[in-house]
Amino acid sequence: MSDQTSQRPGRSATTRSVTTPSKYVSLRNWEVLGTAVFNIFVFTLLIVYLFPMLYMLTTSFMEGYQLGDRNAPIYPSRQTDFEYDGKARKIYTVPFGDETRELALVSPGRKSSEFIDPQNPEAGLITWEGNWRQLIGVYEFHATWDNFSILFRALRLPQMLRNTLLLALITEVGVLFSSIVVAYGFARFPLPGGDLLFYLLIATILIPEKVTLIPTYFIYARVLGWDGTWLPIMLPFFFGNAIYIFLLRQNFKSIPKDLDEAAMLDGAGPIRTLFSVVLPQSWPVVITVSLLHFFFMWNETRQAALYLSTRRDLSPISFGIQNFQSLAPIQNQLQASALLIMIVPVLILIFSQRHFMRNLIITGSEG
Amino acid sequence: MKTTKRRQTRFRLRYDKTTGLLLISPWLIGFVLFKLLPILASFGLSLTDFHMLKPEETSFIGLANYVRLFQDEAIGYLIAFTLNSAIRTVPLQLAASIFLAALLSNPRLKAPTMTRTLFFVPSIIPGVAIAFMWYGFMDPATGWLNRFILPFFGLAGFNDMYSDAAAAFLYSISSLWAIGPGMLIMLGAMQSISSEINEAARVDGAGPLVRFFRITLPMVTPAIFFTLIINLIAVFGGVILLDRGNTFRGGGVPFDRYITYWMFEQWDLGYAAGLAWFFFVIVMIVIIALFSSSRRWVYFPDRES
Repeated sequence: MSDQTSQRPGRSATTRSVTTPSKYVSLRNWEVLGTAVFNIFVFTLLIVYLFPMLYMLTTSFMEGYQLGDRNAPIYPSRQTDFEYDGKARKIYTVPFGDETRELALVSPGRKSSEFIDPQNPEAGLITWEGNWRQLIGVYEFHATWDNFSILFRALRLPQMLRNTLLLALITEVGVLFSSIVVAYGFARFPLPGGDLLFYLLIATILIPEKVTLIPTYFIYARVLGWDGTWLPIMLPFFFGNAIYIFLLRQNFKSIPKDLDEAAMLDGAGPIRTLFSVVLPQSWPVVITVSLLHFFFMWNETRQAALYLSTRRDLSPISFGIQNFQSLAPIQNQLQASALLIMIVPVLILIFSQRHFMRNLIITGSEG
Repeated sequence: MKTTKRRQTRFRLRYDKTTGLLLISPWLIGFVLFKLLPILASFGLSLTDFHMLKPEETSFIGLANYVRLFQDEAIGYLIAFTLNSAIRTVPLQLAASIFLAALLSNPRLKAPTMTRTLFFVPSIIPGVAIAFMWYGFMDPATGWLNRFILPFFGLAGFNDMYSDAAAAFLYSISSLWAIGPGMLIMLGAMQSISSEINEAARVDGAGPLVRFFRITLPMVTPAIFFTLIINLIAVFGGVILLDRGNTFRGGGVPFDRYITYWMFEQWDLGYAAGLAWFFFVIVMIVIIALFSSSRRWVYFPDRES
């Protein structure tokens, strides 16, 4: 088919447009069906892709004993109780021949156990032959906040959160201001050596961290005595960040120069032109870059591990929670800490999705 | 008339190299202070037996650290491991981001922004959370993998979380949770392909697969190239765009860890600097090779005209 039509493209176009109405209707049905199948496929893929997150979400609301119970459902739950004789009795699914009944266990035994029917307790005890341990319980939904309150007691979460927010805020101001100014320089001004400096900027993105780390660590920690402070983490950001500069420059270049030139004709200097003319047209990319930086700082643990391991009170939240693993190796608490630490960036991403996602996508088409 | 001309020349003077240099000076200073000087200092250190605790006893030992490096048995293992992890993750990440970008750029997709965001979510969460989730998910006793997923497919449960095979699997699978930026950049590139080209091909009778391989893929090669670079740098332990910190136990790539070992456990900064320089040279060779190969397979619209 493809060979035939490619020989005579003009004719195939005409045959396509002349379709009988009935054929056209079936074609539309195919379209609808195709769209449905396609969306179901993408949605299934999404669930599979995020499956460990569903595990994390449900486990973080579970009580510890549910983890040990292999018959428990996947959602946070507990075994349903029935109060009988002043005590809470657990309800099990008990088989009697072909049918099963939901009964509360009163006195367990290895060979036979006695149950009571919660629907009809007056009927008295029912004896069932068999090992009660093989019975499957009846569960009801039950979520608990305990894991989170344990975390709040075990970790100084407010302090760690404050540290992260402070670090993010201070470096945000520094990195945005310097990157914007530098990107403006790269976007609008001739530079000695032509594009050479710009290629150098791109190259610095690719330099492995370790090759610069050894002397800088020695200077920071041993010469300047900045071990246990935020200074080594914050300082480099005040000199701009290559990838942000790159993103901002791409955007500044796409803004027409006319308005800049008009402002300059009116006697505005480069910095004033940047902030009164160029920047107001670039808010989307500036916000995108600041969100990228926030995510970066929120997740930062490398530098913190180097300089803050002796000062737990200055530790940002990701680093603090990383150390929590050794304190409490219980899955439900670990999952609760995972939820706690990811909820902020995820919520920010979801609230800013229209903006953030669109601008990164646009960056892709320009890059 | 005369005044405007004078004004224009005055204005032109403003767009000069000095102002440009002044504007980019923060970066330039940062580049010299945090990149250039440390790289040179690293090289200088690598020629000495500099020790963290007794810097005053440093002496120049020439290339002895590099000779030692070539005799170090760990190096071969580290290079093999890095290569291995590159093979295990980079093609997988590339294929997954192309596939997802193709799906998510399809106009049939409902709620496109939300769907894209949800696919992007794993790429912004901290490495710590990822490690907790995957370790928990695969936990032999309580994780869902053993409790629901493997039994559902009739497979035997898997018991040794800390085996090499499990670590390798975890590493590959979790690398799929880092494809966000590459995926978005490819999505952007796919959306910017003019619909006329696709329409023309469709009229010529090209099916969706032919169109994808003959039109879409060649036109997004710049995005593929960029994604390849991001993913490779991540294999070498570097960071582009989004960092998640160290994901799994021990953290970082083995080469990084080996350098850290010589730095913080042996305090032998001379040898650590030698290792770092060796690593730096390897990374640079790979990147230069990639960039020079890009001329052959990456489509640059500017170059055609």
